Amino acid sequence: MMVVGVALLLWAGWHNLRERKLAMQKERDSHVVLIPDKGAAPADSEADELAPKMRGKKAPTFVLTDLQGKKVSLADYKGRPVLVNFWATWCGPCKVEMPWFEQLRNQYASQGFEILGLTDDADAGKDVIGKVAQKSGVTYPILLTDGKVQDAYGGLDVLPMSFYIDRNGVIVEQTAGLGSKDMIEANIKKIVESGNATAQAGGL
Amino acid sequence: MRSLLLAGVLLGSGITPALLVAQQESLTLPAARPKQYVAYDSEGQAIEAGKTSTLELRFQVVQGYHVNSHTPKSELLIPTNLTIEPASGVKAAAAEYPAGTTYSLRFDPSEKLDVYTGAFVVKVPVVAALGDHTLKGVLHYQACDNAACYPPKSLPVQIAVTAK
Repeated sequence: MMVVGVALLLWAGWHNLRERKLAMQKERDSHVVLIPDKGAAPADSEADELAPKMRGKKAPTFVLTDLQGKKVSLADYKGRPVLVNFWATWCGPCKVEMPWFEQLRNQYASQGFEILGLTDDADAGKDVIGKVAQKSGVTYPILLTDGKVQDAYGGLDVLPMSFYIDRNGVIVEQTAGLGSKDMIEANIKKIVESGNATAQAGGL
Repeated sequence: MRSLLLAGVLLGSGITPALLVAQQESLTLPAARPKQYVAYDSEGQAIEAGKTSTLELRFQVVQGYHVNSHTPKSELLIPTNLTIEPASGVKAAAAEYPAGTTYSLRFDPSEKLDVYTGAFVVKVPVVAALGDHTLKGVLHYQACDNAACYPPKSLPVQIAVTAK
């Protein structure tokens, strides 16, 4: 009798544990269903704003004027790796990375690399823009946006916004916000090296 | 029973890593960015008719962001500015802004900004005629976080004023 009692108790405990495990598992199951559902909506709206939607696309062409009033076209840099960086005079993080850009531009200039700084707030005026660029030590071309180029590059919800264009004119990387200098250099390396083999093969 | 339990444990443990992976993936995504970075708490205000009274407009900067104060330290920066549309029966004077707090970017500690974070109140002195009025206006601001800035925004505001 005792033995049966103990066995019953043990079974009850075991049974209870099993029920609990199953209940827990059921709960996890429902979580697994819930999380993707919940996550899907904000992820989609985030994607609208922050997804690198231009990555893998041909860089939209543009013709803009520089601070000296000279027309500059992206086509002028055909076959060269180009970093197109959108910035604004009122954008603090933009001005943090501009001296890094200048340094890296000099470092990779021998490989054809160039940076084009596209000023989002062209209405600030050439003088102010020039002064800010100079204060950041920038000597690469600073171009005035025309309101259309921003849309062509997917609309700018965030500054700084950078597009790394390889020698074939394809945007291989798009970044929003201030990254580390190492990250910027890694992206520059991608576009400098990407078409190198082809360029050399073509040269031979 | 034992196999059921085992299946339960296996299923459970099989699901848990999947869940963790899902959570980790969502962590690597940038945080959701709202279209507006400042919220306006519209509450009706009761004042005395015919006397100068001060309306208090309460704003809240979304956590993790800052906006320039009304008097940023550089002329390049876009100040927070409230404009009130003329309305019949209510005469509004120039808005009064709170002082900002000093803020520096982690990457550039030398640059001192003057910003609003969290809650801030803009005061508007008004004289209103007897009755119910609606004042409309726009708060212009430009927000940044630690690593990025967002284009200037306009936040419409509406204040229900009851003058007794």
